[in-house]
Parts: sequence; structure tokens; C-alpha cells
Amino acid sequence: MPATTLAPFLACTRLGFGASPRDIERIRAQGFSRWLDAQLAPPSGDDADTASRIASARLRIKYAANPGQEIAAVDEARPLHALDQSISETWQLLDGGQKVANQERVRPRYELVVATLLRGMHSPWQLRERMVEFWHDHFNVQGFDAQVAVALPTYDRDVIRKHALGNFRDLLGAVAQSTAMLVYLNNRSSRAGSANENYARELFELHTLGRGAYLNAQYDKWRAVPGALQGKPSGYIDQDVYEAARAFTGWTIEDGGTVANGRKLPKTGRFTYVDSFHDGYQKRILAREFDPFRPAMRDGEDVLDLVATHPATANFVAGKLVRRFIEDTPPPGLVARVADVFRRNANAHDQIARTMRAIATAPELTEAAGRKARRPAELVIALARGLDHELTVTDQFIGVLDGSGQRLFGWPAPTGHPDDAASWLGTQAMRQRWQLVLGVLENSWGTGEFDAPSLTPSGTHTNGEIVAAWQERLLGARDAGQAQAILTAMKLPDDAPPQNVQRLRRMVAYVAMSPGFQMR
Amino acid sequence: MHMKRRDLLKLTGSAALLAATGLRDLAFANEPGAGDTVLVFLFLRGGCDVLNLIGPSNDAAYAEARAPDLRVLDSGDHAGLQLLTGGRDDFRLHPEAAPLLELYQQKHLAIVHATGLADETRSHFVAQDLMERGWLDNNKQRPSGANGWMTRWLTEIGGAHGLARAISTTGAVAKSLEGQRDALCVPNLKYGYGVPGGDEARAVLSSLYAGPGLAATSGRDAVAAVAALDARLPRGADHRPLPYEPAHGAQYDENTDIGTALSTVARLIKLDVGLRAACVDMGGWDTHEGQPGRFNNLAKNLSRALAAFWNDVASEQNRVLLIATTEFGRRLRSNKSNGTDHGHGGATLALGGCVDGGRLLGPWPGLHGDALDRGVDLAVATDYRSVLAEAVAPTVSPAALQRIFPGFRAEQRLGLLR
Repeated sequence: MPATTLAPFLACTRLGFGASPRDIERIRAQGFSRWLDAQLAPPSGDDADTASRIASARLRIKYAANPGQEIAAVDEARPLHALDQSISETWQLLDGGQKVANQERVRPRYELVVATLLRGMHSPWQLRERMVEFWHDHFNVQGFDAQVAVALPTYDRDVIRKHALGNFRDLLGAVAQSTAMLVYLNNRSSRAGSANENYARELFELHTLGRGAYLNAQYDKWRAVPGALQGKPSGYIDQDVYEAARAFTGWTIEDGGTVANGRKLPKTGRFTYVDSFHDGYQKRILAREFDPFRPAMRDGEDVLDLVATHPATANFVAGKLVRRFIEDTPPPGLVARVADVFRRNANAHDQIARTMRAIATAPELTEAAGRKARRPAELVIALARGLDHELTVTDQFIGVLDGSGQRLFGWPAPTGHPDDAASWLGTQAMRQRWQLVLGVLENSWGTGEFDAPSLTPSGTHTNGEIVAAWQERLLGARDAGQAQAILTAMKLPDDAPPQNVQRLRRMVAYVAMSPGFQMR
Repeated sequence: MHMKRRDLLKLTGSAALLAATGLRDLAFANEPGAGDTVLVFLFLRGGCDVLNLIGPSNDAAYAEARAPDLRVLDSGDHAGLQLLTGGRDDFRLHPEAAPLLELYQQKHLAIVHATGLADETRSHFVAQDLMERGWLDNNKQRPSGANGWMTRWLTEIGGAHGLARAISTTGAVAKSLEGQRDALCVPNLKYGYGVPGGDEARAVLSSLYAGPGLAATSGRDAVAAVAALDARLPRGADHRPLPYEPAHGAQYDENTDIGTALSTVARLIKLDVGLRAACVDMGGWDTHEGQPGRFNNLAKNLSRALAAFWNDVASEQNRVLLIATTEFGRRLRSNKSNGTDHGHGGATLALGGCVDGGRLLGPWPGLHGDALDRGVDLAVATDYRSVLAEAVAPTVSPAALQRIFPGFRAEQRLGLLR
């Protein structure tokens, strides 16, 4: 296969959600370099095509009547209403006493899953979609909890998506003030006296410095942390977590709770700072002294500044990006290069885009191709893109995808979904991968008939030609041995035309069930 | 009824079984004997607030540190369930843990309090990794190879591989079984465990996955394993797997993950597929906020699932040993979110026919200021590996025990097993 076609294919699989005929053509026409420039600086919002698909999407919602709670039965195909709403609008789903069914309250999560899959399949801004996926894992929240679910549209739109290729400190600050994170890691209920440490701990361990910088053996000996006496501690200890938890007291949401003097907060779900919740006394965080009683939110903002610019954060984020985009065991040299770009551009509005450029232009991107396991959502998106198949996201399909182990916006642990092959290639995971591919091609979950005759690449007539053409489309290259294996097991002659559309679909399914399609 | 291989052959039809067999079945002829221990490792993920599960209900420091709905009470409508340990402290179980009290009174369940890592980590992920690998301390010597402690145990006991020697009920293989290449992930057997697409797909996939590479190796293992295990499931006339009927009227709550997981393990034990090691997860224990209601449910679901499991495996009780533990306990003093933050000392439960149960084991460090770890947390009085080591000691030599838990020295004998 000539190199000119290989490069666009790899660009699609390594930096996007898989190769579609349209994107292959786009990259071929523009050249990789111009395509990448555009990918790194996409216009905000969806392109017209994707936007219209999201606007016309319908997702079924169904629940039984509950007369005791004045809830009537519902069973309808409903547009995606929550995605454009503000937090104060979606928050009202929680405030109906018992009169709102839980299915309505978690509905925003399901709507966001539909929009996310549609964007993955159709958006020309593939790299942004990959970054949105990455940051949702990095700043994981769990949307099966209704209070998180109603906050997801804002979280996705105004926090993750807005800053996905922007500045890390901006992103970190937006996450810290997001309703979704304040609820998920409990900072909204943290109060002076005995602060809730959940957010502070994961801020250090998962959002910024990383567990490699957790020097727990120094627990209470901050002076013993290398560099601490020069004001540049190489890592963090438990005391930093405790003190940072104090720094963020008062960062909460308008959830109708009572503040000092019997005043009640409104019920909007919006971020707010409540000074009477804040522990204002002096603190010491990462070897830095914080004076007592500083202006509102100054403690928290300074913690975010310290962790966002800590060298360990650059290494941790770079390591995770390289693991996501290159391979499970990140080459240290590349991580160092990427971390350096991240660090040098700490004040750039497009810090993350510049960091991603270092990854997108690294030779390792090509050298290590085929070593990353596609996770289930990526597998089905890549399948729809490769087939050029109009996949309708149904409630049944989301159920199957959730059951495959990848629960978009629903992973319970704050780590986000795992990102290594071992977690996604076990026996059960392999069964589910094959099931997902077969189910889409055979329309098991109402996702739409795969129009195999008209979508099969033109100029192909025999079984052998058809399998080879689909291999080229889905895997980027032909594999005569595997093609023969498929036809032999299907008892189909190489040189005859396909018997019927069912057999044709099976043939395509087997190509996508092969090892090559499980990886990128 | 303990089902023998020949019964299953009749049930599934030997032709179907033979058609489904791969290399794995060669080992099947030497299937392990019925007396071989099955070790079930249940991980309570998130850091179980063991002081809310098994509390010294009359301890003044305990009462001082927490609101009544965050501790086990010694009197009143919500009083805890008395363990009658005979000591000065009145240890009681959470009121929702009645099924655990029953197992304890039947002497099948032993509780080791104040277990944990010597390492001071208060990170979930560091602590879980250490425990699943059988290490003590993040900063000291580690065994060569990063495999799970159950993997090392399986290597030491040797023996035939069977169809499902090691399983995880999670989507991915638990780290305790890291490096165990034939470990299967079996979250559920309700809908069978076959290769999607039927016999033709199985044949295609066997060829497609014959080559080298990570995905190919995984897929090859999966095709062979799932087909062989699937063939062992009893099926109705319509070839669908028959619904599972637990023995002795055991009732699992299938709406809970832990109920489904333990019923799957029990079923595999009784299917006679050579199961020796099973890893089960129960999440949700990271109760930083709104703990009382959440903990009620957790205690209830855990206790009921363990009791159902125990009834269900009644015919195999002499060889089943379940160990449940958590990465750390939680802070003695509650926070202002009506929850508790990460602490240090935890607890470990052991359930089995060979367990010398009905006892609270291990030294109790107490909850007064000086006894607390860093002045705030329940101290670790028993290395968690003492429990694991005593659990597997009858199955391996002392030298092998050292290979499973490198550097481990028992400071005191708990007397976990009879």
C-alpha cells in the first residue's frame, strides 16, 4: 500500500476515532500538516452536520406510573433537551420533591452519551473529541448519581469541551468550580472544622501531581521532602492533602443549604463561595506558607496555581497523554519532551494544543501503531466510521455499551476508565467486543440496518474481493491469510459473489472482529 | 449435590463438549480432587469504615469522635449485634449485619480487627495495589515480577489447570491474579458464556486469532476458554442456559453486584471446573459524605450476599475459604459532611469450613489518643498478610509461603484455621 494512503489512515486511528472514507479523503486533500493545524484549533461548537444530527436525535425514555408520587407513566422517543441547558435549569430536575422520576433525573447522562457517540462518529474535529474523552477520564465524575447527572451537560460543554485544547490551569480551575466535581468529590459539603478531604486528595493524586509524587513515607515531615526547604518540594504528603482540604472549604454550590444566620442559599446548583464555611487560618501547602484570613477563594486559587505548575504535574499529564495516544508503556524520552512543552507553555492559552502537537508529530505515533487496545466506545465509533454506516444510538445500545465495561460518564472510581490493554482484552472483554461488532452489523439493538450492498466498496464482486476491500477500509491493509480464514470457515468460494445480504454482513463483521480492528 | 464430570457429560452431551474443547481440556483429565481449597478473595474497595461495621460500642473515645449514626451503638433501638468476645470492649456488628452474626455464631466466620499495611499510604490506589500484590510497604523490597499474590499461590500449589482455575467476577482480571494467563473474567453466567455468532464465528475467530500479538493471544485464550466453559452450563431443550438455582434456598439479591458476583462464584465451584481462586469486588465504601444511609445498604448487601453464598456452597464448605478485606479503614473522627476520610487500620473477615470462627482475632490497639495511628486513625495491629498467610499455609510449604509473601514474618499466630 502506498505511503500516501497509510498516513491518513493512521492519522484517523491514532488521533481520532478511526478511519472514515470522508476523513481519509479530507486528510489526503489537505495534507497531514494542514489537517493537524486545523485539528488543534477547531472552531468552538459543533459543525453544522453534527449539530443537526444531535438536534434531530431521539432517545427513548420509559418508566412506569407511580401514583403515590404523582408520577405518570412515560414511554416516548424524546429529543435531547438537556444538552443546551444551564445548570440552574437542569438542577430543577432534583427540586421537584418526589414528583420527578429518577429516570428523568439521570436522563442528562444518557443524552450526553448519545451526543458524545454522534460527535465521535461524525465530527470532523476528531482530535478535539479524543481530548474531550481524555479529560472526562482524567477528571472523572459518576453520572449514575442524579446530582452528578444533572450537572453533566454543563460539565461537558462549559468545562471539559471548552478547555479541551486550551490552558491546563484554566481547565483545572473550571473543574474545581464545576457542580459535577463539587458534588462527586464532596467538596460542596466540606466545612471548616473537619474538612472533607476527598477532592483535595484526588486533586493531588489524580488531577495533577500523580501518585508517583505521593511521598507518603514523609507523612508529617514536610522538611524532609526533597526541595521543600528551597520552596520547591518534589512531591506531596498527607499534610498537604489535609491543608489543601482546608483551603477549599467554602467552595460549594447553591443547593438550598443553610449558611450563617439562617440565610439559605438559592437552589440553582451554581458554584458559590460561602465565607462562613471557610477555614481562614494559616496553612502550609507544598512548603508554601498561607497567611491567615486572606481574601475570598485566595487559598483555593493559590493551591490550584501551585499544583498546575508543579513539575510533577507536567510529567504526570504528559505520561498519561502519551499512554493514551502512543502506547501503554510510555517511552520516557517522549514523555520528557512532551512534559517540557507542557511546562514551557504553562501560560499559553493553547497550552494543551501545543502539547498535543508534540505528540501528533512524534515518530513514535507511527512506530508504535497497533499497540493500543481500543476501548468499547471507540471500537463501535470506529466501526460506524469505517463502515460509513448511519448508526442510531438507542437506549438498548447504550445498555449494551454500559455492560461492556465502558460506562461513559458513569465510571465509579475517580481514576476514570483504565487505559491499558490488560483491562480491555480479558476473556469477558473479548466476548463483549465481538458481540458489539456483530450486534451493530446485524442490527440487534435497533441501531439501524447496515446497508451492506451499497456500502461495500465499489468495483468488488467476488467474496474474495469484498473481504479484501473491507480489510483495506477497516484495517488499513489487506491480509490474504486472514481473508482466506474467513472464507474457509464460512464455506464460501473466493471467486463467487456473496450469496445474500446476511452472509455479506457476516463477512464484514468478521473483518471487524479480527485482532487488527481491536487495536489502533 | 456435587456434580461429577460424567453427569455433566450426560447433561450437555459429550459431542457438544468435545466439539468445544481446545487445548485446555487436555488438562481436564487430571481435574483437581474435591478436597482442594477454593480461595475467594473479596475486596471491599474504597476503604471500608470498619469502625462502623465492627465497633467497640462502649468505648468512650469512640462515642466522643462520632455521631451515633456513624458508629455501632451498645443500646437503644439501633443497638449493634453483640459479638460476646469476653473482653472489656463490647464489640458489636452493625445492625444491618445480622446474617454475619449468624455465621459468626455458627463459628464459620472469624473477624480480624485492625489489619492493614505497614505502609502509611492513604491513597486507595496505592494501598489496593500493595495488597493485591501481597506487599507490605511501598518503600521496601518487592518480590521479583509484579504478579498478584494469588497468582504466586496458584504457582506454588501447582496441579491441573481445569477449565476455570482462576476467575475474576469483574470485567478485567483483578490485580491479585495479575500474571495468571489462564484467568477468566466471569461476571455472570446467566446468559451463557459462549462466543457470539455461534459455531461458525468460533471457527473464524480461532483462525483469525492464531497469530502473534497481544490482541491475538487474548482472543485465542478467550475463544478456547469461553467455549469450553459455556459447554459445561446446563441447558434446556431450547439450548438456552437453564436459570441457576442456588442450593438450600439460598437467596442472592441479583440487583446487587455482590449478590450476582458471589452467586457466579458458587455456581462455578459446583460446576466442578477446577476453580481454585476467585477474585470478587465490592465497591462503594468510600463514604466521605452522607455515610449513614450508604453504610446501611453496604452492610446489608455484604452480609446477605455472604450468607447466601455460604448456604449455597454448603456441600463444599469444607474446601471453600473466603477472605474479605479492604485497603484501609477510615478516620476515627467524622468530618462535617457526615462522612469519614481515609484512615489506616482496617479489618479482615474469614469465612470457611476450616476457619476457627466465632472469634474476634488479633490484638486490639484501642482508640484512645496514644493508641491511634498519627493520633487520628485506628492503628494497624496485624499485618494483613498474617491473615492471608495463615489462610493458605495448609496448602503450601513454609518455603513456598515465603515466595508468596516475600519478607513476611509472622509476629504472632492468629490461629485463623482449625
